Amino acid sequence: MEKGLIAIAAALAVMTGMVTGIGEASVARQAVESIGKNPDAADKIRSMAILGAAISETCAIYGMLVAFLIIFVLGA
Amino acid sequence: MFEIQGTVFYIAIVCLAILVFLLILNMKLKKFDPLDEPKGLVLMAMMGVNFIENMLKKDTNKEMTEKLGPYLAFLFIYIFIANISGLFGITPPTSNYSVTLTLAAITCIMIEVYSIKYNGVKSYVKKLFEPLAPFVVINIISKVGTLLSLSLRLFGNIIAGSILMSVVYQLLARVSALIPVIGKFNFIGVIVCSVLHMYFDLFAGAMQTYLFGTLTVAFISNELPEEAKGK
Repeated sequence: MEKGLIAIAAALAVMTGMVTGIGEASVARQAVESIGKNPDAADKIRSMAILGAAISETCAIYGMLVAFLIIFVLGA
Repeated sequence: MFEIQGTVFYIAIVCLAILVFLLILNMKLKKFDPLDEPKGLVLMAMMGVNFIENMLKKDTNKEMTEKLGPYLAFLFIYIFIANISGLFGITPPTSNYSVTLTLAAITCIMIEVYSIKYNGVKSYVKKLFEPLAPFVVINIISKVGTLLSLSLRLFGNIIAGSILMSVVYQLLARVSALIPVIGKFNFIGVIVCSVLHMYFDLFAGAMQTYLFGTLTVAFISNELPEEAKGK
């Protein structure tokens, strides 16, 4: 019973990844759009897009860290 | 009594590897004739130094480029080698929170020191109380937030990679145990996990190294007044 609740809590914590997916997709969409408008700036846009995607990915990583903490600290 | 964690030895191994690498590089650079065309390790070192200098020159001034350059080079080399050390069978030192917290603390102290140095103590204190006096609590919390986000980003990425890898290895070991005779050797794991190592160790490691360096430069240049930049 208790283990099941811990698993549900971990799953809820890792659900931050759901919204992060949408956020990173919008980074990629904007990058593609702006490369289409201005192909000369592709190099700059690429590095900025990777940076933006990686920073917004942090949110999902926090969620996963919390899930790991729940599993390994509460569940052990 | 103190208990010595395994990470201490892994840090020592990584530092020894970096020392050997840098000694070889130093030997090659001493032998190198400036009129020759650079290649191999020498070319790599030149490109690295050029990259770091360009990155710093764009956001800060010339004096800081000279001072921050070695620190940034240390960050890049140490974090990258520590991140990919999972490929060589040791636990990456960056998957221990103490290591990443120390690295982030060095960066955060540096941000404050440069902020005081370039703005003066008076305007540094004044900045803390902006826009209203009660906001001092929020401003101090946001300084701690920088520390936490820098360290947790690196730590989370590396520990997530190593935990996921170990889970996949265990799963594939069970799958391959179903095959008779050769099943004891986890050969499915070797095939599948090479791709995962590529992503979690090499790509994520390089990505987080780049991010840590870029964010360090960005945070420091944020604190500088406009007239101190680009000289």
